[in-house]
Amino acid sequence: METLRNAFDFSDFPRMDLVIAGAVAFLFLIFPLFPTSSFAMATMIQFFMFALYGMGWNTIGGYGGQVDLGKAQYVGIGAYTTAVMLIRWDIPFWVSMPVGMAIAVIWSFIIGYPLFRLKGHYFAIATIATSLVLKDLFTVWSFVGAARGLEISPITYPPPDYLRLIFREDIYYYYTILGFFFLGFIYMNWFRKSRLGFQLRCIKDNEDMARSLGINVHWAKIKTYAIATAFVSMVGSFHVCYIKVIEPVDIMSLDLSILIALMAMLGGAGSLWGPIIGAGVLIPLRSYLKEWLGAAAGLVGIDLILYALIIMIVSAFEPRGIWGIVEKVRRRKRR
Amino acid sequence: MDILFGSLAAGILLGMVIALVALGLTIIFGVMDIVNFAHGEFLMVGMYTGLLTAQATGMDPLFTLPVAGVVGFLLGVICYAGFIKFLIRGPMVAQLLGTFGLMLFLRNLALLIFGSSDRTVHHGILVGKSFEIGMGIILPATKLAAAGLSVIAFLAVWLLMNRTKVGKALTATALNAQAARYMGIPTEKMNALAWGIGGASVTVAGALIVNFWAVNPFMGLLFTMIAFAVVALGGFGSVPGAFFAGLVVGLIMEIPGFWDFFTYTFDWMWMADVPMTSLKYMWIYVAYFVIMVVRPRGLFGWKH
Amino acid sequence: MKVSVRLVIVSIAIAAVLGLTVPAGVFGAEEIKIGVIYPLTGGAAAAGRELRAGAELAAEIANNGMADLSMTMAKNSGIKAMGGAKINLVFKDHEGNPTLGADLAKKLILDDKVHGILGCYHSSVTKTVSAVCEQYGVPMINGSSTSPDLTMRGFKWFWRTTPHDKWFTKDLFEFLKGLSEGKVKGVRAVPKKDIEAVAAACENTEWGSLVTEMIKLFAGEYDFKLRKTLLYADKATDLSSEVRSMKAARPDVMLFASYTSDAILMVKTLKAEKASPKVIWGQDAGFETPEFRNTLGDDIVGILTRTVFLPQVVEVKKVAGQVNQMYKAKTGNDLSGASARSFTGLQTWVHVLEKAGSTKPADIQKAANAIEIPGDELVVPWAGVKFSTTGDELGQNILGSGLIGQYQKAKDGKVVLEIVYPFDVVTADMIYPFQAW
Repeated sequence: METLRNAFDFSDFPRMDLVIAGAVAFLFLIFPLFPTSSFAMATMIQFFMFALYGMGWNTIGGYGGQVDLGKAQYVGIGAYTTAVMLIRWDIPFWVSMPVGMAIAVIWSFIIGYPLFRLKGHYFAIATIATSLVLKDLFTVWSFVGAARGLEISPITYPPPDYLRLIFREDIYYYYTILGFFFLGFIYMNWFRKSRLGFQLRCIKDNEDMARSLGINVHWAKIKTYAIATAFVSMVGSFHVCYIKVIEPVDIMSLDLSILIALMAMLGGAGSLWGPIIGAGVLIPLRSYLKEWLGAAAGLVGIDLILYALIIMIVSAFEPRGIWGIVEKVRRRKRR
Repeated sequence: MDILFGSLAAGILLGMVIALVALGLTIIFGVMDIVNFAHGEFLMVGMYTGLLTAQATGMDPLFTLPVAGVVGFLLGVICYAGFIKFLIRGPMVAQLLGTFGLMLFLRNLALLIFGSSDRTVHHGILVGKSFEIGMGIILPATKLAAAGLSVIAFLAVWLLMNRTKVGKALTATALNAQAARYMGIPTEKMNALAWGIGGASVTVAGALIVNFWAVNPFMGLLFTMIAFAVVALGGFGSVPGAFFAGLVVGLIMEIPGFWDFFTYTFDWMWMADVPMTSLKYMWIYVAYFVIMVVRPRGLFGWKH
Repeated sequence: MKVSVRLVIVSIAIAAVLGLTVPAGVFGAEEIKIGVIYPLTGGAAAAGRELRAGAELAAEIANNGMADLSMTMAKNSGIKAMGGAKINLVFKDHEGNPTLGADLAKKLILDDKVHGILGCYHSSVTKTVSAVCEQYGVPMINGSSTSPDLTMRGFKWFWRTTPHDKWFTKDLFEFLKGLSEGKVKGVRAVPKKDIEAVAAACENTEWGSLVTEMIKLFAGEYDFKLRKTLLYADKATDLSSEVRSMKAARPDVMLFASYTSDAILMVKTLKAEKASPKVIWGQDAGFETPEFRNTLGDDIVGILTRTVFLPQVVEVKKVAGQVNQMYKAKTGNDLSGASARSFTGLQTWVHVLEKAGSTKPADIQKAANAIEIPGDELVVPWAGVKFSTTGDELGQNILGSGLIGQYQKAKDGKVVLEIVYPFDVVTADMIYPFQAW
């Protein structure tokens, strides 16, 4: 009960924030009722997915301060578990998703244990290394379709299939991911006020002091890493039901890992709203840049150039992200 | 046995060039303690430079090295002065993501300018020629020349770092920037110089590599990871370390060859079915992970 | 609000409502939109250009008619059964990425409201795009993806004109068998044991993986020793380990399934590593593009490739010659397997639309299952186009066939492709064994 009350307790935020958040949440709920192009709907679904990815990453990367650039491997584990279980044994999404999360978490413990002996950029590079290793293995493992990947056939399961999450219209997917989004958000609110959340902040500030206070630093980091993994794997399972096709090269790519980290960093790592703001800015930006500029004849890649420049400018000049700017402005106002 | 010697030769030749690729990274890291994720993209720039210079002037690709070197030096210095300088003031997250941004920027700029298809050098004095010296050792002339020039480049850099005043200043900054500053060594200039030299050595490596590997805008990441593995093994900041580690990594990339050796010498045909060639880069990542967990200092490193 | 503004808003609203309520196709669309998804950039961009040009040429002929071309589709200007409606091709670039292809297909269907789809060359992309089409009930015709799986999924909205890799690979082994029996023109019977060791390297997506499966299947059936098969990433920039691994197996015959850039790289690496098998064969695709020939020049002499169209065919088929001339005028190159099949794919669309008489999906589906295009109207040397509607393979053209060609040096010094299989249409002696570089 205490936990639940904590999870829903947003009282430590200024009222203005809560009002805006409430309005935005309402808009999310009624969005599909407006006539929009399939493109806009797809972008919104992507936004929720990446907001969730970002929230998960934020636990270890934001609150924990350890830059993890290998999250894509867990997206892959979640996605593949769901896909394989559905294709081979006809197991519905609501069973295969937790199983995927479990497998991902187990794997995260296995590599987390040695991984967290490293710090800083050594850690970051090691996360990339493990992600690439898994990707290469999946590329040659025929059980998961090797490089060809897996495909959920559109004719085997007549939509709408709520058990297996196979739908024809995007609107079903929209509300499903919205549901996960709200759940994830509540969880993050609980997390930041939980014992683990405080431990992490202490570790981030000064690791030696944290240790001297009796916190088991190593274990705290590993647990957080597992939480991030669970988030990411859950969305991975959703991803495969939505897109219905996966290949290792796509779903376990470094580009995806960077993108995930970017959500939180751009929006403000270490804050509750950060990943959501980050996703809210980056995903539509990416989609629309690609749509308007990427398709222009001969200008392949210009959308990504702009996108890269934005990343560079934000990292160099405003590393605390958008939320950091907001807080800075507020602090100044208070004086 | 032929297979074994062939693989050893290939691995060593490749290793010498890989060492040069990693050299730039270890210098930048040694002096500035920043990891450049765009390192592979610098290499790619070097490759395109070499290719285009050769095509434009009709020179043999091997003679385009000085041009590539100059381009690399400028690229390094510009990146430092225009971007990295600001980046290092921020937290680690920002630094890492910042150089990623640089990586994406360079990669997509190349995509825009050059298109996504592979390009290779088709004409040159040494292109397409190989020496077969028996015992299964085949030495493609381009790789041989690249390895040789790589060794020369290494010696040049080593001399620069240890025998010249500038080099010693760089080493001093690497060891202790604060103290070096008190001695009158301008840190800013040293940082820029480190990036310049780092950039130059990797673009020269690129100009060498383009003689026998194709270039496309997406190849940077693989080389960045290879360079990291080499630097981790050799020790972050160590020049001779980079050389020996490069050889080791070159041999790691030949694991499929050694695997084949065992398959056919002992006739264990089940081994032929294992897709080793598809996994040849994976071993490098594994090696990085193992080294970092077991011996983070690497072979010769003094900095951790 | 000002009256004029209100008027404008009201008229827009009425127009929007009308636009939304009137279903497309009821009045007989003035224009037929076909979405075409090809690899216009990326490692197979060279093929993509050919594919695009082939489809565009066919559309031009269909829309404008051409009196002296003996093809049904050239007789009328536009689709006669639909009041002369013109075909409008909407091109999209999938860059070789299956997920992107599926995305583009969805956009074409939902936002551009195309009536049908043509594409995609890469079997991996065709797989995902056809799944999207199947989901939305939009007809798709595929002209050049050869993975056998594509027509074995029970899809009802997918038709494929090109024969697939199972047939082509069987052709190869028939050829090799013929080599050992003295059936090959210009070569005395080669003892089986001299050519029985086989090694294969294929790119690792849908296409290459299935070619490998087919090779394994037929090597067993025809009693060849398959010593090594390996898959490689088609975006690889270095294939020396792969080549060395194949060499280590000491094969007499080397088989490849590669797209353009990797085919070029593979041959260059084979040369650099001094590989010396007796027979080198490629499963079309990269081995047939103009870029392959232009980049490697004389180095390709002696290499065999599965092909579906050769310039030589032009001499035997009148329509092929005429179309080839137009194609050459448009692009500077002769027709190749890619462009010829893309042309044929669109030609099939024209026939289907004529027979359907409307753009309603159900009508198109019925028409596609019923059409039969006679062989002499096609530029490709097939017996015709007729899709199977029963059995394991739905939507597969059962009248197609393949050829095996060998690159040889013509008297004028140019490198040309000569037919060496089937044995009854051979145009030159085969060069055997492969001359080491």
